[in-house]
Amino acid sequence: MIAADSETSAGGDRQTQLLRGALDMCLLAMLAKEATHGYDLVRRLDAIGFEGVGYGTIYPLLTRMRRLGLVADELHASPAGPPRKVYALTESGRARLHAWREQWRRFVDTVNAALTDTIPDSDRS
Amino acid sequence: MDTVDDAVAGAEEEWRAYGVSRQDRVVLAADLRLDLQAAAADGVTPEQILGADVRDLARRLADEAGVLRAQPEYGRVVRTAMAGLVLGGCAGFIVVTIGHPVMVAWFDLPFRPPLWLALLVFCGTIAAPAVGGAVIAVRTRLADLPGIRRTANALILLLPVSGAVITPVMWWFATAVGHNPDLIMLIVAVEVALATAALVGAILLARMWSLRDGGHRGTTVAA
Repeated sequence: MIAADSETSAGGDRQTQLLRGALDMCLLAMLAKEATHGYDLVRRLDAIGFEGVGYGTIYPLLTRMRRLGLVADELHASPAGPPRKVYALTESGRARLHAWREQWRRFVDTVNAALTDTIPDSDRS
Repeated sequence: MDTVDDAVAGAEEEWRAYGVSRQDRVVLAADLRLDLQAAAADGVTPEQILGADVRDLARRLADEAGVLRAQPEYGRVVRTAMAGLVLGGCAGFIVVTIGHPVMVAWFDLPFRPPLWLALLVFCGTIAAPAVGGAVIAVRTRLADLPGIRRTANALILLLPVSGAVITPVMWWFATAVGHNPDLIMLIVAVEVALATAALVGAILLARMWSLRDGGHRGTTVAA
């Protein structure tokens, strides 16, 4: 579970910063699987463990990604209620997601290596 | 923020205050309305989605959408326009003071001009350089501000109108209080305050008017 707030204020701030660095990539990844609307993205993020990431965070991010040409939106008729604005990845978004994914893997490997190397022998079980 | 309309209206108000052009506000509001309506169809209220601070979200949306905002800069505009107005008015007064005896000496009018014409020429000789001074000041000193040309054009119209409106009011006030020598300073202060309020109001109105559609064309958000 990745929550926007944590037990301590410092922990919460750190969590928020980590989230901020990865959320756009997560959104692109989710849209790569399936085009969907903004509110559904909020629900999906919540379902996979991004608690506390509200529409107020997602919607500006989607707006920015649309401005950058990473996602495109179009209106889809909804069986119930008004039409929905469905976001889908563009070619540029797909290429960016690929690059970000590789970058993230290298980053995680590096961080893991650093963490592993710095754990004192006494703490290892 | 009970309804979608309330939420969108709150956001629009913030975008307006934030200097987002009307054209961009329409697009942003339509986007927001669509999402809120879709969520409402799922039984989710605008407050649940946007949180309590819709204004903060509105600002972030405008920033992320990349809209260029027109900064009103009311303080700078008023100070600069008033400075130009006063300098121009002083120049006009000097022209009248020096020019009037010279004109009288040079020309002998074959008729006696009506009072209104004499007043018009007298006031116009002071007012025209005053308005010109304000316009030149904002055009030259505030060239970096968006929409400043439109503001200057609006000043050309609104400053004379404000002068025409406030002059009878000042006249009425002076007539009403009479020429009491004991109150002369107070009367002058009130008259100056009236004139200043009218002129500052005209300048503010000119600035608002010139920015009502954004005042400039910036990056327009995608529909």
